[in-house]
Amino acid sequence: MISVKHLSKAFGETTVLKDVNVEIKKGEVISIIGPSGTGKSTLLRCLNLLETPSGGEIVIDGINLLDKKSNVFKLRQKMGMVFQSFNLFSHLMVIENIMLGPVDLLRMGRREAFEAAMHLLAMVGLSEKAYAYPDELSGGQKQRVAIARTLAMRPEIVLFDEPTSALDPTMVSEVLAVVRKLAERGMTMMIVTHEMKFARDVSTRALFMDEGIIYEEGPPKQMFEKPKRDKTRAFIQKIKLFGFEIRSRNFDLYRLNAGIENFGHKQMLSPKQINHIQLVIEELVMNALLAKQGDVVAIAISVGYAEENGTIELALTYGGAPYDPVADDGGDDDLSGRIVRNLVKTRTCTFEAGKNHLRLTL
Amino acid sequence: MNLTERLDGGRLTLAIEGRLDTTTAPQLEEALKRPRNGVTRLTLDFAGVTYVSSAGLRVILLAQKQMKNGGGMTVRNVNETVMDVFEVTGLAKILTFD
Ligand SMILES: Nc1ncnc2c1ncn2[C@@H]1O[C@H](COP(=O)(O)OP(=O)(O)OP(=O)(O)O)[C@@H](O)[C@H]1O
Ligand SMILES: [Mg+2]
Repeated sequence: MISVKHLSKAFGETTVLKDVNVEIKKGEVISIIGPSGTGKSTLLRCLNLLETPSGGEIVIDGINLLDKKSNVFKLRQKMGMVFQSFNLFSHLMVIENIMLGPVDLLRMGRREAFEAAMHLLAMVGLSEKAYAYPDELSGGQKQRVAIARTLAMRPEIVLFDEPTSALDPTMVSEVLAVVRKLAERGMTMMIVTHEMKFARDVSTRALFMDEGIIYEEGPPKQMFEKPKRDKTRAFIQKIKLFGFEIRSRNFDLYRLNAGIENFGHKQMLSPKQINHIQLVIEELVMNALLAKQGDVVAIAISVGYAEENGTIELALTYGGAPYDPVADDGGDDDLSGRIVRNLVKTRTCTFEAGKNHLRLTL
Repeated sequence: MNLTERLDGGRLTLAIEGRLDTTTAPQLEEALKRPRNGVTRLTLDFAGVTYVSSAGLRVILLAQKQMKNGGGMTVRNVNETVMDVFEVTGLAKILTFD
């Protein structure tokens, strides 16, 4: 359906895309992952000509989009785009936002456009908001309207650029549910996302971008569990873990908790699981480990989630004398210890090269 | 964390909202220690509490002790996750719920 050959893009001196090659077939759901600044957005923007590529070809149904003679307007219309920011017209009601494109650009009759728009609103679960203004909607609702608006143009492929990253964590899942529904209906999509679990579950293929190229691609299961190349492996490893370093007694507990919460949402953990992780870490750090640290405070925390068996893995590394805070039974008054021991399923504590390594599962 | 106080005869109701942890527990402790005339009973309303760590539990126990000589202290509207913490630490047996 779309084939991208030797696509390149430079902004002045900086080459962002060097040589991108990708074939997109009808019905595929392709997730694009990769470190920040590697050109994921630029690739999507080149595909629907929001940016002019510096070289290469984008062929849609046999026609080269970059050929001067091509009817770019018609080809572009085959591609819908959903951005991180919703870009709805605030002076127009939801239904008018959705009807605008079809009426003005597709020359659709108002009645037909209205019916199609209502149909799409039902699909994204917002029928009752048809006559609301964007300002009256939550972020998640706005993004769902933005998706409906894009679909109203009847695209053959929808490009999503981090559709959930501007949202409050509690609203991410309602938007992802809509994207999932589209996937089930066979919509062809390319999705740049940091929601790795979602990408793994929903996409049919994952592309990892780095160095201006598609550095590695494959089925999501392989890409997220057994990537072949070093850079991909390092990236996947990093996103699967949440890490935090404590270097002072006055460290920022808010930031630690926000980090855990964010990680938990990405891994689609339940509020209760997130609560438990925060609780174990707070109790261990505040009531056991900090007290045993000397002048130099050095505690490293990492949180991981093993999807295969649904266990949460915590690793804490800290200096000082050999010390296993979970073993310590402080008796009835030890509220903190009781909380921790109740939530911890397994543990190992080793001491190596002057450092304690405490590994816990919840 | 947010605290809302309501005084009704001799009963003080403290509605707590948010997280009761190492960072916020001192704020509750301070509110409890404020001298108040004529308060004989205390109710802690946990409806808005989403998280409690041992730092919060210590302050709750302190409040309970402080009210022992008066009409006592009750706790209400505790959600399930917070109740789990009360249970494993034994506070569920010590506190009075209504
Ligand atoms: N209009 C522009 N002018 C100049 N440089 C640009 C422009 N757009 C993007 N860039 C640069 O191109 C590089 C790639 O940007 P791009 O937004 O495509 O990355 P990304 O992979 O989407 O990153 P992120 O994950 O942070 O969204 C960056 O170094 C960026 O600064
Ligand atoms: Mg981007």
